[in-house]
Amino acid sequence: MSIKDTKTWIQEWLDERSGLSSITKFLREKKIPQHKHSIWYYTGSAILLFFTIQVITGFVLVFYYSPTLEEANQSVGRIMTEVPFGWIIRSVHSWSASFMIAFVFVHLLSIWITKSYRRPREATWMSGVILLVFTLAFGFTGYLLPWDDLSLAATKVGTDIPRSIPVVGIWGTRFLRGGEDITGDTLTRFFGFHVSILPVLLFILLAVHIYLVQKHGMSLPLTARRKNERFVELPFWPNFVYREMVVWLILVGVLFSVAVFLPPSLEKAADLMAPAPEGIKPEWYFLFLFQTLKVFPAKILFITGDTIAILLILLAVIFLFFLPLIDNRPAERKGKIITFIAYVFIMYAVVMTVWSLI
Amino acid sequence: MVLCLASLVLKYGYALQITPQAKDQAVQAEKEKEPEKIMPSPKNIKESTAIYVFLVWMWVAVFVLIYILILKIKEVDRLHRIKFFSAKRE
Amino acid sequence: MKLKHSLFTRRQFLNGLFGGWLTALLASFLYPIIKFIFPPTREPDQVILPFPDFKDMGPNSVRVFSWGAKPGLLKKNEDGTLRAFVGVCTHLDCNVTYLPGQRKFFCACHDGWYDENGRNIGGPPPKPLRQLIIVIEGEDLIIKREGVE
Repeated sequence: MSIKDTKTWIQEWLDERSGLSSITKFLREKKIPQHKHSIWYYTGSAILLFFTIQVITGFVLVFYYSPTLEEANQSVGRIMTEVPFGWIIRSVHSWSASFMIAFVFVHLLSIWITKSYRRPREATWMSGVILLVFTLAFGFTGYLLPWDDLSLAATKVGTDIPRSIPVVGIWGTRFLRGGEDITGDTLTRFFGFHVSILPVLLFILLAVHIYLVQKHGMSLPLTARRKNERFVELPFWPNFVYREMVVWLILVGVLFSVAVFLPPSLEKAADLMAPAPEGIKPEWYFLFLFQTLKVFPAKILFITGDTIAILLILLAVIFLFFLPLIDNRPAERKGKIITFIAYVFIMYAVVMTVWSLI
Repeated sequence: MVLCLASLVLKYGYALQITPQAKDQAVQAEKEKEPEKIMPSPKNIKESTAIYVFLVWMWVAVFVLIYILILKIKEVDRLHRIKFFSAKRE
Repeated sequence: MKLKHSLFTRRQFLNGLFGGWLTALLASFLYPIIKFIFPPTREPDQVILPFPDFKDMGPNSVRVFSWGAKPGLLKKNEDGTLRAFVGVCTHLDCNVTYLPGQRKFFCACHDGWYDENGRNIGGPPPKPLRQLIIVIEGEDLIIKREGVE
């Protein structure tokens, strides 16, 4: 039997037992419209690419990492100095996290601005917002694991934030820390979140999200729909996937080059009793929130500034989650105000991030 | 802090008669030896050359693959345009 | 000699080229991961112990020392000479113990026996205990792997 015959035989054997051909048929018939906003269609699979890289590098890093107070920092040090290629794999893991989060933001903003969350895609959007929260949670929990001065300080600040929410906030802090203060229990808890709880939850929600995307197909931009334009439609497989592969190759190349030349360092082990080091700040994707908290005065009337800031942030997240229900106009209406709010949000985030770095 | 000291002492190898004072001095010596910050980097010239060679090879492979993909894209687009895959099976 | 028909079509050629380069690229990414997962666990070439610690060993007794991650056994014979073994059973890697009363090394896992020179004499062990070379330089007791200068 030739290679081709073998391939066909395997496919038929699998299909008879699994019904896989219905999926491949679907992927061949699925159409991707081509228009001037099509470029944003590539953000979804880019996120998946980086997530896959995180899973693979994460799997092997967990072979050497020790999630205890005494050994966490030293185990990361060992990965960086003793284990072959350890520093590269850690660097890829660290950079891929940043890339993934960046693309999640771009993905969200592109859907927002093109109003692709409108009926019938509201559930897709909502699952997406929860996925955003999970992704940021991954970043937050992962950042503590090396247990050095900076990550401890960032975690102290981060887990203190829920406390500002009246009544229930303190429980948030206790839940995250495993108590009132940060201890070895916090590290264990964050490790459990990072390698077990969050992956399972994210995986399930991702499956739902991707299923919904397939069910409703690619949304069309308003301009095309209003003018009733005829536009080119590409089959997902193989035409669009080949194009996605080009994007993946470039992204992998950039990721690896950056990881090799700008690897993260490791500070010495955190000391729970030492004063906070100077110049602590969270990872870049939290900087705008960090600055928001800093900007509010200590007290407004009789409420602490922090509380107001947190409540505003929570309000923003709730607004984001319910966006498709707030803007429930039919797809053809332009929604200029919503677009404006999106640009305001982008400006705010950029300005606050830059401000926090000065 | 106590845990840190304890672990450093335990790491200290085979048994010697250690007085409490000597113990403190030993711990101090260990702490000074501990690097303040670990900057990852290739360890020798062989490793750094290997990394540069790898990066060049990687980008070469990426561009070759992109070139082949563009050829494949053109072909598959052409097939789609002439509706090669639609309706009738051969 | 000219072939009547091509061995493969242009499409197959292109796909083959693509698959080949992709495999090469993925393999070059996989290599560091494999090296990462299987780090070299080299045994030490030699171990230096303070000789005074072992001067007070009685005849027909054994002391344990660290041989990398394995136990090393330093044995003082009846005649006062020293021998060193890697204290790991050649059957399935359990740590062995010395029974001075019987002058034999014993592995509890599967009832393996070695005589006082490390030769396998009973039970499943297929080979004698690994020997190490002893060199005494002043206050240093140096134990080396066989074949190391």
